[in-house]
Amino acid sequence: MAANAVGALAQKKGFGAFISKNTNLVTFVVLATALGLLTGGRSFQWDSVRNLLIAESVRAFAALGVGMIIITRGIDLSIGYVVCLVASVAASFAQTPDYMAALYPGRDFPVYLPFVAGILTGGFFGFLNGVLVAYGKLPAFIATLGTMSIARGAQLIYTKAAVVGSVKDAYKSIAQGSVGPVPNLAIYVAVAAVMVWVLLRHTKRGTNFYAIGGNPVAARVSGINVEKELVVVYTYAGLLYGIAGCLLSGRLGLANALTANGMELDAIAAVTVGGVSQAGGVGTVGGMLIGVLTLGIINYGMTYLGVDSYYQLLVKGVIILVAVYFYIRKYSKRA
Amino acid sequence: MSTEAKQAYVLEMRGISKKFPGVQALDDVTLRVRPGKVHALMGENGAGKSTLMKCLFGIYHEDAGEIILKGNRAKFHSAKDALEAGVSMIHQELSNVPERSVRENIWLGREPMRRIGPLALLNHAKMHRDTAVLMESLEMKIDPADRMGGLSISKQQACEIAKAVSYEASVVVMDEPSSSLTETETEHLFRIIRDLTKKGVAVIYISHKMSEIFQIADDVSVMRDGKMLGTWPAAELDEDRLIKLMVGRDNTNRFPSVESAVGEVRLEVRNLCSAEDRSFRDVSFELRRGEILGLGGLVGAQRTELVEAIFGLRKTASGEILVDGERTAIRSPRDAIRRGIGLITEDRRGSGIFPLLSITENTAVASLGNYLKAGFLEHRRIEAEARRLNEALRTKTPSMWAQIQNLSGGNQQKVLVSRWLMTLPDILIMDEPTRGIDVGAKYEIYTIMAELARNGKSIIMVSSEMPELLGMSHRVMVLCAGRHTGTLAKEDATQESIMRLATQFE
Repeated sequence: MAANAVGALAQKKGFGAFISKNTNLVTFVVLATALGLLTGGRSFQWDSVRNLLIAESVRAFAALGVGMIIITRGIDLSIGYVVCLVASVAASFAQTPDYMAALYPGRDFPVYLPFVAGILTGGFFGFLNGVLVAYGKLPAFIATLGTMSIARGAQLIYTKAAVVGSVKDAYKSIAQGSVGPVPNLAIYVAVAAVMVWVLLRHTKRGTNFYAIGGNPVAARVSGINVEKELVVVYTYAGLLYGIAGCLLSGRLGLANALTANGMELDAIAAVTVGGVSQAGGVGTVGGMLIGVLTLGIINYGMTYLGVDSYYQLLVKGVIILVAVYFYIRKYSKRA
Repeated sequence: MSTEAKQAYVLEMRGISKKFPGVQALDDVTLRVRPGKVHALMGENGAGKSTLMKCLFGIYHEDAGEIILKGNRAKFHSAKDALEAGVSMIHQELSNVPERSVRENIWLGREPMRRIGPLALLNHAKMHRDTAVLMESLEMKIDPADRMGGLSISKQQACEIAKAVSYEASVVVMDEPSSSLTETETEHLFRIIRDLTKKGVAVIYISHKMSEIFQIADDVSVMRDGKMLGTWPAAELDEDRLIKLMVGRDNTNRFPSVESAVGEVRLEVRNLCSAEDRSFRDVSFELRRGEILGLGGLVGAQRTELVEAIFGLRKTASGEILVDGERTAIRSPRDAIRRGIGLITEDRRGSGIFPLLSITENTAVASLGNYLKAGFLEHRRIEAEARRLNEALRTKTPSMWAQIQNLSGGNQQKVLVSRWLMTLPDILIMDEPTRGIDVGAKYEIYTIMAELARNGKSIIMVSSEMPELLGMSHRVMVLCAGRHTGTLAKEDATQESIMRLATQFE
């Protein structure tokens, strides 16, 4: 039901209405076309698309997680270091047994163990965030700032600040393989996106998330257990970060203290560009994915065009601010 | 302007008119205030007192009329303008910075500075000295260094009065200043007020408490339905006369007939006490099948607090609630909904609607649990039921998927009624069900209520509008300052009898 929240915005008809309804999609198409023209069509070739999908997949998991949190009017700054910790934990259970510098030298764990350990770690941090926000009544910004630091510390202690390398091929292939021309990572994202879509659109819980973000007081009056739902949404997000961390360590074949640094900003920026309102109660799975891809082609395009990476950051910042500026105008005409 | 007039009145508001969409909030209102006197401003809820004061402070801009302060035409654009011209307001709710000291609060925004070379720094010593002198002159025993939030409510209020005096105010407006004070504290407040008037300050005193008015006021002005009825010396009035003046309007609103068979007791409340300070205490009543129970009282009577406690939104300290004769613990709205109770809150925007969600979603949000198949929402059944309810209530909307924020207040209210009907309640609590709704839509809401009662639902209607209470209720229960002061059967309920109970302070 809530997917129509954005759709119902524009009462007027015609092209203008279509643009105002699908700003995120239009932005994406315009940028992709521009990049296509600038690269003489090269960016439309499957290899380029494939690279883009591989590069953005991990971020997509984080975006789906934090996207749901932002729908409930929350925020999560702990993503980057939680994913980093997860990647390190997962990689430590996937190292080749004959690797001398392994965290558990000589041990050969089954290939599912890194996933179980990683996803539980992510879920635990999500749960912790949720409890702090819902029952501790800490502002989400501060609560997740705290857990971010805890995750950071835990990662350094666990790995003794060393690289967790020499990951088994069997583990790597889960993330690096493909089915025909389609990278495995893109398939995992598609599965996760469908699950989140079902959750948001077809379950009571999803509607509750939109209601809490739209008006927390009215949600309580309507009999929604706001605290419980908040713990759930942060925990779900944590599980998604867990998957992101596992896949990332598989894709890279290692994890270290720099893995996934800054991912929270990328994920928050992506869903914001994708139309998830920081004011809460608005956003769709499609929008989140479009946001991830939009930021992806901006990165990809600038690299392709040879823009200095320092300038890339600057341009990205400007694009995010412009997007938010327009969305705030769009959603602020509340009755 | 003659010199005489200048001496006679410190403040004149002449011919003030103010129109809001659909309402003439103020109609040619004139108020003249003498220096050194306490001028009581009386009227029912919604008579226009607050609007008039908001025009004085430039929060609203009057459509017509003029404000003369000390012989000069005045036009304020903000509370700060007004303060600097010597007009200040003590609000019902305190507006201080609780984490800062008394002295910082008093000089906030105009702190004395001292220069050290190129630097301008706060002059804490002077601030402290000046505050101490100020407190001395008002015989207030408050340490300028105390943290504001650590003081009692009455002392905080005294600080606000001191602040007004520090601006050399010639007119001080007090809006329900005693509503959160104990009797002793109120007496202290009156002492301060008398001191102020001795200094020549005029006090405009807004209160519903009759006894206070006759204790403190020199002049009394009465407003009704946006009009000023006149000003009388307090000595020429008595309580009966004042009540008649306040309520004596023609009953112009029309109501549908409420013909329902009142049956057995559905809800019984016994000795319910709020867990909050200065809220309702020891309230008992019962509600029957098919009955509309009006809940009347003035601002601050704690009516909303009472119904929100019954619905599980606020904590109670003691007492019990029985639904269909069974003792029930209601700790959250979920518990209440499970027991068949619904609540349409007073603040439609703040705690009612989800502005960005659709009519369908807004209608279904409280009953989604009844529309699940294998854990998934049955969108078709949900939409069908939401549509059926909104069509039955004649909600005007372009589509079931339009955002609720685009509907008028009356139609939003119908969606909220639909929301609760979808939960299949036995008891519906409606807090100010027609607030901010135009006259036509009001009648429709009344018709819906009558229909619900006829179908055996029980309704508690909190209302600040006398005609509504009299026109719709089987019985009218009246609260005053958190106490149940009486319940009137339809035959005995008149504007005067309700107002008498509503102003019956111990």
